[in-house]
Amino acid sequence: MKQNKKLITAVINSVLPVILAFILGGLIILAIGENPFETYGILIQKSLFTVKGFMNTLHYAAPLFLTGLAIAVTFKANVYNMGVEGQMLLGGFFAGIAGAYLPAMNSVLMKFICFAAAMIFGMVFALIPAVLKAKCNVNEMVVTLMLNYAVLKLLEYLTTGVFRDTSAGYVATPTIRDGAMFRRFGSSRLTMFFVITILILIVMYLIMNKSKLGYEITAIGKNPEFAEAVGMRVSKKIITLMLISGALSGLAGAGWMMSDQFKYTLGFSTNPGLGWDGMLIALLGGHSPIGVLIAAIFYAALKTGSDSINMYTSVPKEIVSIIQGLIILFLAVRFINNNTQLFDRFKKVKKEEA
Amino acid sequence: MELFDNILYDTVYHSTPIILCVLGGIFAYKANVLNIALEGMMLSGAFVSILVTYLTGSIPIAVLAALLTTILWGAVFSVLGITGKGNVIVIGLGINLIVPAIADFVLKRMELANISLQNVSVSRMKINIPFFQDIPIIGPIVSGHPPITYLTFLGIAFFTILMYRTKFGVYVRVVGENEDSAISLGIRTNFYKYAAVMIGSVCCALAGINLSLERMSMFTNNMTAGRGFIAIAAIYCGQGRPVTSVLYAILFGIARSLSVNLSVYAGPAAGLFDMIPYIIMVTVLAVVSYMKYKNVKVRGFKLE
Repeated sequence: MKQNKKLITAVINSVLPVILAFILGGLIILAIGENPFETYGILIQKSLFTVKGFMNTLHYAAPLFLTGLAIAVTFKANVYNMGVEGQMLLGGFFAGIAGAYLPAMNSVLMKFICFAAAMIFGMVFALIPAVLKAKCNVNEMVVTLMLNYAVLKLLEYLTTGVFRDTSAGYVATPTIRDGAMFRRFGSSRLTMFFVITILILIVMYLIMNKSKLGYEITAIGKNPEFAEAVGMRVSKKIITLMLISGALSGLAGAGWMMSDQFKYTLGFSTNPGLGWDGMLIALLGGHSPIGVLIAAIFYAALKTGSDSINMYTSVPKEIVSIIQGLIILFLAVRFINNNTQLFDRFKKVKKEEA
Repeated sequence: MELFDNILYDTVYHSTPIILCVLGGIFAYKANVLNIALEGMMLSGAFVSILVTYLTGSIPIAVLAALLTTILWGAVFSVLGITGKGNVIVIGLGINLIVPAIADFVLKRMELANISLQNVSVSRMKINIPFFQDIPIIGPIVSGHPPITYLTFLGIAFFTILMYRTKFGVYVRVVGENEDSAISLGIRTNFYKYAAVMIGSVCCALAGINLSLERMSMFTNNMTAGRGFIAIAAIYCGQGRPVTSVLYAILFGIARSLSVNLSVYAGPAAGLFDMIPYIIMVTVLAVVSYMKYKNVKVRGFKLE
C-alpha cells in the first residue's frame, strides 16, 4: 500500500510539471496566432503514432537514456556529476578514433573495442572529480563543470589539428569503418544499439534495486553522515558511482558515434548537448531506470516531433526547447512530497463520510 | 610591441563580463543559494538589450529593458528556489536552457539568424582617457574601453565594501553560514537571499549588455559561451571572496586573450591556452581543500 502511494506521488511529481509546461507553451503558441492543439497533435502523432516515426524516436532515445541513467545514478546519491556531457564527448571521440584507425576486423570485435575505449575514457574523466571528492572533499560539481570545458577545448584541438580528415570540406575526424557502424533496421534510423541499451537497462535495474550497492546509493543519498556512521565507506562508494556514471556516459557517446554520426564534428552533441538533456531526463524519470527510459522516449519524441512542427506549421521548432526548459523549472519544485499527504487527507474525509 | 598591447587590451576586454558575473555570483554564494543561472541571465541581458535597440533604436530604453527582464529571471529563480524550496541547481540549469531557447524562438519568428545593429557604432562607445592612452603599457589597460568596463572595476571596490563593511553584507553572510541562528536573531533570511540573487541578476544583465551591445553591437545565440560557468568556478576557487575570485576571473581573461592573439602564430594549438585556467583551477581547488582537511583525523563524511 505504502509502495503504491509512493509510486503515485512519483508519477504525479513527474507528470504535473510536463502538463504545466505544455499549457504555458500552448499559451505562447496562441500568442503568436497559431493553434496549440494542432501543433501538439502533429508533435505527438508524427513521433509516436507512425511506425517509422516511433522507431526514429527510439533511435534518438538510446543515447539519451544512457546519459540520463549516468546522471540518475549519481543524483540519487546526492553527488552531482555535471561532467556527463564531457564524458560523453570523450567517449564518442575516442570510439570514433578507434573505429577509424583500427585495421579492418570482425565487426563484433571492432564494436566491442570501440565501446571499451569509450568506457575507459569516460571513466578516466569521472575518476578525477571522484578522487578529488573522496580524498580532498572538493566540490565535484565545480570540477566536472570545469573539466567539461577543458575536454571540449581539447577535443576541438584534436579534431582541428591532429586527427583532422583533410579530405572532408569541414572540420571532422575520419569516418569510422563499416565494421564499427551499426546497421539500420529497414528505412528507419533504429539500430542494434537500442537493443544494447535495453540490456544495460536490465543490468542497471538489478544493480539499483536488487543489489547491496543500490541500497547503499539510496542510503548515501538520504543521509551520507548516517551511512558513514553505520559502516558504509562513503568515499569509496562515491568513486564507484562516478566510475559507473562515466562508463555509461562514454557508452552513450560511443553509441551515438556508431549509430548516427560516424565521425566527430564540432557539433557532435547537438545543442544543448546529450549530456545536458540527460539531466532533464534523469529528473523527469525520478532517478529510477525504468522511469528514465520512459522519460528518454518522451524526450526523444519531442525531438523528432519538433522537426515535423517545422515542416507542417509555421510555429518555430524552438517552442519544443522552451517547453523542455519549462519542464526543468517546474520539476525543480516538488509539488507533492511524501509529507504533504494529499491522498491521506482525501481518504480521511471519505472515512468520515462513511 | 603592438602584439603585447593587444594582449593587454584583450585581457581587460575578456575579463570584464566574467568579473561582472563573479561579482554577481558571490553574494548568492555567500547566502548559500548557488546561482548557476548566471549564464542564462547574462544571455538574457545580451539578447534583450540588442533586441530592444533593434526595435526602438534607443540605447537607454534597451539597457533598462535588459535590466528588467533579467531581474525577472532573478525573481523566477528566487520564487521557485527560495520560496518554493526547489533544488536551485536544477532551476539554474532550467534557466540556462530556456533563455537561449526563447532567444532562438524570437529570432526564428523574426526570420533573422542573428541581430546586428547598423546604426550603433561600437567605436563611439569607447572612452579614451586623454593623458593615459599614450603611456605604453598602462595605455591599453586603462583607456579605450566601453563604460561598463569602467563600472566593473569600480564595482570590485563597491562590492568588497558592501560585503565586509555594511550590515547588509554581514547579514547575507550570516544567512549563508548558519540559517537557523540567523532566524533566531530575527533576520528575515528570505529577504537577504532574494537580495543576493537580485544583485546577481543585475550584474549578469550588465555583463550581457557589455558583451553584446557595447562591444560588438550584435547578438548571436550562445554568445556567452560558458562564461557564466567560468564565473562559478572562479567564485568557488576564491571561496566567495570578492578580490580573490576576481583574480581568478582575470586569469581566464589572460588565457583567452593569449589564445586569441597567438592563434595567428600557433594555429589550432592556441586553443589549448583555453584549457590552462581550467586545469589551474582544478589544481587550486584540490590543494586548498587538501590543506583544509589534512588535519581532520575523525573518520567521517560530510556533504557541504
